[in-house]
Amino acid sequence: MTFARIPAAAVAASLIVAAAGLTPEQRKLNADSFEYAWTKIRDNMWAPMPPGVDWQRVHDELKPKVETARTMQQARAVMQDMISRLKLTHFNIVPGDVYNTLDTAAGRRGEGGSPGFDVRLLDSQAVVISVDPGTPAEAAGVRPGWRLVRADGQDIAASIRKMQAGLLPSTFKELSMTRAVLAKISGAPGSKVPVEFDGAGTRAVKIDLELTEPRGESSKIGFLPTQHVWFESKKIGNTAYVAFNMFLDPARLSTRFANAVEGCLKCDGFIIDLRGNPGGIGGMSMGFAGWFVKRAGIRLGIMRLKDQEMKFAIFPRSEVFGGPLAILVDALTASTSEIFAGGLKDIGRARIFGTRTAGAALPSVIEKLPNGDGFQYAIADYVSEGGRRLEGTGVEPDEVVNWTRDALLAGRDPALDAALAWIHKGTDK
Amino acid sequence: MTRRFCLLSAALVSAMALVSVKAAEAPLPKADDIMDRYVEVTGGKAVYETRRSEIMTIEMEIVGRGIKGTLTRYTDSSNNAISTGEIEGVGKMEEGVYNGQAWENTAVVGPRLKSGAENDDAVRDAYFNSSLLWRKLYKARTAGIETVNGEECYKVELTPLSGGKPQYDYASKKTGLLVKTERTVVSPMGEITVEASASDYKQFEGILYPTRMVQTVMGNQIALTLIALKANQDIPKEKFEPPAEIRKLMAK
Repeated sequence: MTFARIPAAAVAASLIVAAAGLTPEQRKLNADSFEYAWTKIRDNMWAPMPPGVDWQRVHDELKPKVETARTMQQARAVMQDMISRLKLTHFNIVPGDVYNTLDTAAGRRGEGGSPGFDVRLLDSQAVVISVDPGTPAEAAGVRPGWRLVRADGQDIAASIRKMQAGLLPSTFKELSMTRAVLAKISGAPGSKVPVEFDGAGTRAVKIDLELTEPRGESSKIGFLPTQHVWFESKKIGNTAYVAFNMFLDPARLSTRFANAVEGCLKCDGFIIDLRGNPGGIGGMSMGFAGWFVKRAGIRLGIMRLKDQEMKFAIFPRSEVFGGPLAILVDALTASTSEIFAGGLKDIGRARIFGTRTAGAALPSVIEKLPNGDGFQYAIADYVSEGGRRLEGTGVEPDEVVNWTRDALLAGRDPALDAALAWIHKGTDK
Repeated sequence: MTRRFCLLSAALVSAMALVSVKAAEAPLPKADDIMDRYVEVTGGKAVYETRRSEIMTIEMEIVGRGIKGTLTRYTDSSNNAISTGEIEGVGKMEEGVYNGQAWENTAVVGPRLKSGAENDDAVRDAYFNSSLLWRKLYKARTAGIETVNGEECYKVELTPLSGGKPQYDYASKKTGLLVKTERTVVSPMGEITVEASASDYKQFEGILYPTRMVQTVMGNQIALTLIALKANQDIPKEKFEPPAEIRKLMAK
C-alpha cells in the first residue's frame, strides 16, 4: 500500500516546534533512526544508487553529525540531508510533532488550518484558482484570479523568485514552490493571518484571513498524518464531473465515486479533475479505472521493486462507463493521480487536458522511526503502460491548456472548457 | 491460515546444532510421512475427522506501518469459504470461494473474480481439512533439509494435482510442526512470492494451530494473530454467498 507525499505545509509548520537540548537517550534514538532509515533505503532501492551517490560514504559522513546533533531540528536536518542526496521524490522525514499538531487540529488546537483557497503559480505570481465554499475566504470576497501579494508579512513574488533561483530544475519544482507559498498561510483553525491580494485590476485587498478547518472529512491510515478528503460530483449539462483531493479514505471515496459513475452511465462524457491531487493509495487507481474499461487483462503500468514487480491491473466492473473520458491535470497532479491518468492515456481510454503533471510517482511507504518521527521512503519505480517512467517526466497532456489569470477573473476554467468541447464535439458527430 | 505451523522455543533452537549433523546424513523421510506426522502432532487423525466447520477471528497488522484490522473467516466441509473484515482507514476487505469460484472485494481495488491459477490457489486454500486430506490436492516430495530460524526442517515440495507452481512447506524435524511456507501467487498483478512463518501454537478444540503468522509479501510484513477459533458451528449455507457486486460479475 503506497501513499502520497506529506503536505509540505504540515512539515514546514512543524519546524517551528521544539528547540530544547537533547538528552543522551534522545541522541541515541536519533542515531538509531538515522541507521534505520539509511539501511531501509539501501535495502529497498530498486535500482543502482543514482549517479554520484556513494551510499556508504553518505553514511560515514553524516552519522557522526546526527550523533552530535544538539536539537531535534539539527538531527532531522542531517537526515533530510541524507535523503536529499538521492534527488528522488517520496523520501521524507515527517517530524513527530506533525502527528501531534495535525491530529489535534480536529480539536481546534495546533496547526492544520486551511486558508480556504488554492493557488497556482502563473507567470511567477501566486494566483487564486479556487475558493472553498462556505469558508471565511469566500465570505471575505476572495475570488479566482486574484493575485496573492503578501502573506503574514512576506512578499510572495520575492519568495517565488528566490525559490526559482534556488531550486534545481525538475518537473516537480512548481509543486514544491506552490506548496511553499501555501505554507506561508499556516496556523490553527480559527487563527488569523494577514494577507494582501491584488484583486481585479490594480485594486489591493488586505484581509485578516481566518484559517478554517480543511475541506472534507478527516481520514487516518497508518502513520500517515491525519488528512482531510473531499469529493465533489456534479453534472454539467449531460456530462459528469468529479473532483477529489486525494486517493485516500477508500471506504468513503470509492463509494462516492461508484455512485457518481453509476448515476451517469448514459452521460455524454465523464470528466475527472485531478488538478492539485497529490495521490494517495496506489491500488485505488486500479479500482477507479475499473469503471471505465470493459475488457479484462489491461493494466495501467508496472511497479518495479528491488526483486519483484507488480502490475497495476484493471478489473472491469459489472457495468462500466463507455463514453468519452477526460482527465484534467496540472503541475500539482502527482503520484497515484499520475499513475491513473498516465495509464488511462497510454491505453487510449482517456484524453488528458491541462499541463504536465509533477513527475513525482514513486510508490512509497511510511514507517515510524525510533525517535518518533515518520519516515517516508520510496520502495519502487513505476513505469506506465506506454513504457515510460513517470518519475521526473510526468504525464504530458493530449491538449495542453494553461490556467490564465484573465480566464479565472472571467469565471472560466480553460482546461474544463476544453474537455467539455472535446466531449461535445464527439457527441455532436 | 488454514494449516500446520510450528512452535519455536529457544531451548529447541539451541539444541538443534548438535542434532543436525547426524540427521542430515540420514536418508530423507518420505513426504507422506512428514505430512501425516503433522496431523498426528497437532491433534491426530481422529480429531481432524470430527471437524465440520471452523470460524476464525484474526487480527492483522502491516508491521511497522501502523495499519491494523480484523478478519473473520468461515470455512466448512462444503469447501466454500468467506472472509470478511475491516482495515482501519482503508475499509472493508472481503474474499471467498463459492462453488469453485474465488472472488475478492475491497474498498481499494473493488470487486473482482479470480481466474486461472489464482482461482485454483484459492480453491485449494478453501478445501476443508486440507491438512488431513492433502492427498486430494497435492503430490508431495521431500526436497531436502533446511534450517529455518535456527530450526532444522524438512522441506516438502507440494505440487498441485490440478497443475501450477509448487509450494514449499518446512516442517520441523524435532516437532513435526510446520515452520514456514513459500509459495508463488500468480494473479493479474503478476507472480508474487509469499513467504509465511509461524509460531505460538495453541490448541483450539483439540487441534494445535499457530496463533502467530507473519507473511512477507513484496517487502511488506503482514502479521496475523489468531485470537479465537470455533469449531463445528452450524454455518448457514447463505453465509458463503458472495456480496451483490460479486454476484453481478458472476452473472455477466
